[in-house]
Amino acid sequence: MHIRTTCLAYLFLTFFNIFFLFIPFSQSVAESDPEPDLQSSIIISPDKQFDFAESYFSNKDYLMAVGEYKRFIYFFPEDERVETAMYRIGMSYYLDRHFNKAVDSFNDVIDRYVDTDLSIKSYFMISQAHVKLNTFGVAIINLNNLITLTGDEDVRDEAYYRLGWIYIEMTSWEKARLYFSRISAKNKTKYRLERLTNELNKEKLIPKKDPGLAGFLSIMPGAGYLYCERYQDALIAFLLNGGLICAAYESFDDNNNALGGVIAFVEFGFYAGNIYGAVTSAHKYNRKQTGQFIEKLKNNTKINLSADVKNKGVCLAFEIIF
Amino acid sequence: MIKKTLFIIFFIILYTCCSTCFAGQEVTVAKKHNVLSRTVAKQENVVLYPIKFYRNYISGADGNRCPMYPSCSQYCMDALKKHGFFLGWIMCSDRLMRCGRDETKLSPHVLMHGETLSFDPVNNNDFWWQ
Repeated sequence: MHIRTTCLAYLFLTFFNIFFLFIPFSQSVAESDPEPDLQSSIIISPDKQFDFAESYFSNKDYLMAVGEYKRFIYFFPEDERVETAMYRIGMSYYLDRHFNKAVDSFNDVIDRYVDTDLSIKSYFMISQAHVKLNTFGVAIINLNNLITLTGDEDVRDEAYYRLGWIYIEMTSWEKARLYFSRISAKNKTKYRLERLTNELNKEKLIPKKDPGLAGFLSIMPGAGYLYCERYQDALIAFLLNGGLICAAYESFDDNNNALGGVIAFVEFGFYAGNIYGAVTSAHKYNRKQTGQFIEKLKNNTKINLSADVKNKGVCLAFEIIF
Repeated sequence: MIKKTLFIIFFIILYTCCSTCFAGQEVTVAKKHNVLSRTVAKQENVVLYPIKFYRNYISGADGNRCPMYPSCSQYCMDALKKHGFFLGWIMCSDRLMRCGRDETKLSPHVLMHGETLSFDPVNNNDFWWQ
């Protein structure tokens, strides 16, 4: 019993000493932590953050720019450049060819800001992104919505002009003409409408091949390809089909019905392929000629409608080739 | 002799008409019923065996010389998978006739493994009725 009490007393003393020794030591350790040096630390201001994002954007590092613009919006939600940053996110996605994400980002701008310059530009960019995605219908609906919402005649005219070009891309010439004609008189010169209409009227001169006629001519193997100006294909189709028909005929004539059947089966494929290929070739020919016409029309008459944030100035450039 | 010629021409026309109809029907029916679509897939797989055999054993030894992208065998597989046996076979035959000739001048070019090839996928040949 005595021994036990003595042991407990020693144990208590030991813990007591350790406890009191540890307190000042722990305090001294805590105090020894160096205070953060405010002089050497970096404080990010809204200007610095926005400029950093802009530097990524101007260096065409668009996905990094998106991250920095989002950081800017998160840390400085009250800054007046938030709208610009949101628009730039959309532009970054658009320029990096992430068109679906670009549409979402421009929609965010439209949802948050009403009837501002950038929200209107966002409408235009949404339709442009949809054109890139080949979803022309949505692009048209979007521009029609803008025409309904806006009271600004200049904005409406630009929407009509863009609608006209979307219909040109869709080869709906009449609808394109209709929308171009809706542009107000004061903006007709700006959009060079007279020249555009004259050039557009030349669409009737686009050389075309009739797919039906190409298919019909292919009853004579190769004639359809010949009509579509595919001379080598025509020769091969004629020789191959002619040879196989002769072979099938000879086999049947020699009572080799099994061989004749196999050759005829193969020949059926090539004969039908010759018809199918001629029809497709006519469609391809028409598509190519129309594409070339549209490209020429764009180069000659389309004015650049940049939806960038800053207004473009006039630039004079010299080039010396040596 | 005239009888046999007429017989061959009749079959060619019949085949051309039927193949287009059946191909369209097959796809439509298969879309409506899952069971049928599985059967169609099985049929396609069987049809693909000779092409797979060609790709694995003949083309491997013979070498890939097709100047088009996708190659003719790949194009045939794509066409058969997409449009079924009849229309796939027609498109395949059409491609074999066009391979390496006018199409190389008319189609856009792509650079594949250091080689310039003519780009002519299935959707470049069925865009007008799809």
